[in-house]
Amino acid sequence: MSLLDRILLLDIFAGLGVTARHLARPADTVEYPEKAKEPSERFRGMFLLDEERCIKCTLCAIECPINIIYIDWHSEKNAEGKAEKKLDRFDLDMKRCMFCGLCEEACPTNPRSIWLATKTYELGTYERNESLYLDIRKLTQWDGNVKPFPTADPAKAPVNPAKEK
Amino acid sequence: MSQSLLYNVLIPVTKAVVCFLVVALVAGVLTLIERRVLAALQIRKGPNRVGWNGALQWLADVVKLITKEDHVPSKAEKVVHLLAPLLVMAPALTVFAVLPFGPDFSVTLPWIGKVTTPVHAAADVNVALLLLLAVSSIGVYGIILGGWGSNSKYALVGGLRSAAQLISYEVPMGFAVVAAILMANSLSLVAIIEAQRKAGVWFVFPGLIAFFCYFVSGVAETNRIPFDLPEAESELVAGFHTEYSGFRWAIFFLSEYANMIVISTVATTLFFGGWLRPFPNVAWLGFLDVVPPMAWLLLKVCLFLFVYIWFRGTFPRYRFDQLMALGWKALLPISLGNLVLVAFAALWGAAGLRVLGAVLTVAFAGGLLWARLRPARPRGTTSMAGRPAEVRV
Repeated sequence: MSLLDRILLLDIFAGLGVTARHLARPADTVEYPEKAKEPSERFRGMFLLDEERCIKCTLCAIECPINIIYIDWHSEKNAEGKAEKKLDRFDLDMKRCMFCGLCEEACPTNPRSIWLATKTYELGTYERNESLYLDIRKLTQWDGNVKPFPTADPAKAPVNPAKEK
Repeated sequence: MSQSLLYNVLIPVTKAVVCFLVVALVAGVLTLIERRVLAALQIRKGPNRVGWNGALQWLADVVKLITKEDHVPSKAEKVVHLLAPLLVMAPALTVFAVLPFGPDFSVTLPWIGKVTTPVHAAADVNVALLLLLAVSSIGVYGIILGGWGSNSKYALVGGLRSAAQLISYEVPMGFAVVAAILMANSLSLVAIIEAQRKAGVWFVFPGLIAFFCYFVSGVAETNRIPFDLPEAESELVAGFHTEYSGFRWAIFFLSEYANMIVISTVATTLFFGGWLRPFPNVAWLGFLDVVPPMAWLLLKVCLFLFVYIWFRGTFPRYRFDQLMALGWKALLPISLGNLVLVAFAALWGAAGLRVLGAVLTVAFAGGLLWARLRPARPRGTTSMAGRPAEVRV
């Protein structure tokens, strides 16, 4: 900075100018409880379970490092007379989940049967066990804010580099 | 009712009560305005839930502060601890006695008749500026006693910092005020305003440097950002009022805002013509007289208060050595040199003031314009370029 710049306090005026320009800008604040921002397309919120795709292998429950996935199933004859696994229970103790995503990685089906897919991020509850204990109903149908699975077409599906090796 | 009783008791008491209430009210509302403006500067919204768009937030704060526990630390020096907020507030409010808010005005009151009185809280004191500097300096006692009486290290350090800071910045502030006194040839605030009318120019033009020194010192005197070291949150919790709560804390808060209003009003009076309209001698601007004098004053004071908030939203806090360096190594010599300059101009009378004002304004505006229009520094000449390669990050 030259001496003249310092005498004229150019840096001071430049700083004041920056804040003055900000004064004219509308606030970025979103008044949360009334309005909320829509998460981006790539947002990975809460778990979603697709009961149709799930083969009841329980790999996700086995892989879970803190054992918070509880799966019960029984065998049943279907219309063609073949044995078919039916889910009795698929529970996820959300309040202990650390979102490591290992269950999603362990899932053998393609597309995945369980994956972090919803745009839900409001996890607050008034009771400890109220809504953070997810059962099948909650896992399969969130409150309408489930985004479509982006790679439903296998031809367009991105190749998992880990699996390709 | 005798005239002396009316003029010596009734009117002053009424004015004092009105002044106190108005200052307390304005200080309260100012907290809300400050939060909203600060939020706008930071692209936020600020408090907007209580009342219409947050308009009652300050009232909620007042109720909260009054109903909070008035806590005194167990080993505090109790008398000093309780006395300190009053020692801060009393000078801050006393100063309002001599501030001129407008020219004489007349009202016709029921039972009493026509009353003519200046819009002062007390009177046009002929040594008003001296009184103002003397009384407002007492406030530092309250701050240092509050810091010491709290029996807290944070508070003590805050109090000591405040004492050091206020003493340092009294000096350049005093010199800046002396410059205004030289131009006006009087210590009376009313006479200074009248002198600006006579000279035909606001003293901010010939006293550009003095005004700058005065306002910077004023910001430092009121412990406002960027000079808020006595209450530096990141270092001292809350500085001298760390151990205060409830209404006593509110009194510290109120006196800070009262001091801001005083500094702004005095800056307006000394350098921006007080209640005078812009260019008070130019006849064709006479239509500006529609605005009453007091409104002009309030407008200017509001602008200064906005600048206070603007500073708060812009600048980071000084380090203590930088603060002292600015006070003693920059402001003091600048204000002293300016004093010599202004003294020579004042020797020449009103014409000298006008010439000095024109020269300073043109030099300042020209310098800013040149800085704006000069070619940008070519790329690659930043400080990084000159350094040896291994130092580059």
